[in-house]
Amino acid sequence: MDVSAMIPELLSALPLTLAITFTAIIAGFCLALLATTLRVRRVPVISHLADLYVSYARSVPVVLQLFVAFYGLPLLVVLFGSEDFFSPTIAAMVALSFYHGGYLSEVMRPAYLAVDRGQHDAADSLGYTFRQKIARVVGPQAVHFALPGYGNSIIYLIHNVALVMYIGAADVMATAHLIMQRDYNQYQFETYLVLAVIYALMCLIAWLIVRFFELRSPMQAPEATTKAQIKNALIASA
Amino acid sequence: MLELKDIRLSYGSTQVLNGVNLSVKRGDVASIIGPSGTGKTTLLKCINYLAKPSSGTIAFDQIQMDYQHADKTAIQAIRLRTAMVFQQFNVFKNMTVIQNVMDPLVVVQRKSREEAREIALRELERVGLSSKQDSYPSQLSGGQLQRTGIARALAVRPDVMLFDEPTSSLDPELVGEVLKVIKDVTSSGITSLLVTHEMQFAKSISNRIIFMDRGVVAADGSPTEIFDSPSSLRLAQFLNSEHSLQ
Repeated sequence: MDVSAMIPELLSALPLTLAITFTAIIAGFCLALLATTLRVRRVPVISHLADLYVSYARSVPVVLQLFVAFYGLPLLVVLFGSEDFFSPTIAAMVALSFYHGGYLSEVMRPAYLAVDRGQHDAADSLGYTFRQKIARVVGPQAVHFALPGYGNSIIYLIHNVALVMYIGAADVMATAHLIMQRDYNQYQFETYLVLAVIYALMCLIAWLIVRFFELRSPMQAPEATTKAQIKNALIASA
Repeated sequence: MLELKDIRLSYGSTQVLNGVNLSVKRGDVASIIGPSGTGKTTLLKCINYLAKPSSGTIAFDQIQMDYQHADKTAIQAIRLRTAMVFQQFNVFKNMTVIQNVMDPLVVVQRKSREEAREIALRELERVGLSSKQDSYPSQLSGGQLQRTGIARALAVRPDVMLFDEPTSSLDPELVGEVLKVIKDVTSSGITSLLVTHEMQFAKSISNRIIFMDRGVVAADGSPTEIFDSPSSLRLAQFLNSEHSLQ
């Protein structure tokens, strides 16, 4: 058996895996931003709902969240009188966006709280509005604190996308199983090995991107300031 | 120009300010001294509404506010006319020295970047930091950070400068460079309120000394009155203990 023949087959399913991942990254980020804002500003009732959401996303196993979305969402839309349009892929995107958003909110909240109280005081006393303060001072510093945790959350997301095969989405993991079955389960180890390399590469790329932003942060200034230094540090950390 | 009346504030069950009355005239350089924990810093923060009194009133020229009915417009108006220098410097860590000084001018005062840059360069020269303008806070010493803080405060052209123990968290050998800058600032005639433990310094730059004790103003007078003929036993004891430390 030529392993190189199955690589293109596996890669043909990669766009779907990536589509689910990127949807969850973008939608999850927006959800996390919203949830974190509500949780930090403590609006009665609404803040508790946000807490509840984060607690659900973080404590229910991801595979269970996928089942809940896959079986629950059609019921929900039918209840509102519209047609069931949930394919496994869309259900997976929704479920993983909610999972990632909840997890990320618990990265953002501590990062916001890690910004020194004095930075708020200085901005307030100079007459910055709340929005100006967040945009100019507190936000950029919170991003710096959040980046390592953000990198982790992206890696966990990539891993968890592998679970979408349980609700029938045809990602790389599901495709690998199809290939194995077609080959009478002769090459299971080889197929899993190729799959492992694909996942490792995806995580490495995601991690390098996050690490690049970490090194570029002005609060990191003394260690790496020039492009060459950042490049060297990246190579060293990879 | 600035008048605080009957300011009361407590953190939980601890009463920090017990009805403070204080008025500052234009051109005053007033130093607030007193034992630790008597509310000096808290009082200074009340002016900017960084600390929130439970009752009392503030009048800043025409701006008047009752702290029981704090209103955003008055708070903002007062914040725009005062500038604070902090014990912990509180220089924006995500910006270079010059960005720290420029940012409030561009963001809050809506000045053009060119104009803000010009003002910032002038103020940095004044505090002796021209050579460090592109450094980030993580690359600076405490003294340089505090001078950045002072330049940022000066750049907004405040009517009143509020110094909150500006040298208390500095290494002893860095205190001198910051005191020199503060002396230069206060001698330029800008109204200043300074919370400090540097008695000799307070005596040399101030025209007024305010002694706070247990959440009230316990004595208020010229440096000679306060230091040379203390009016109360508490004040004499405090000055004595400070003196024996030096």
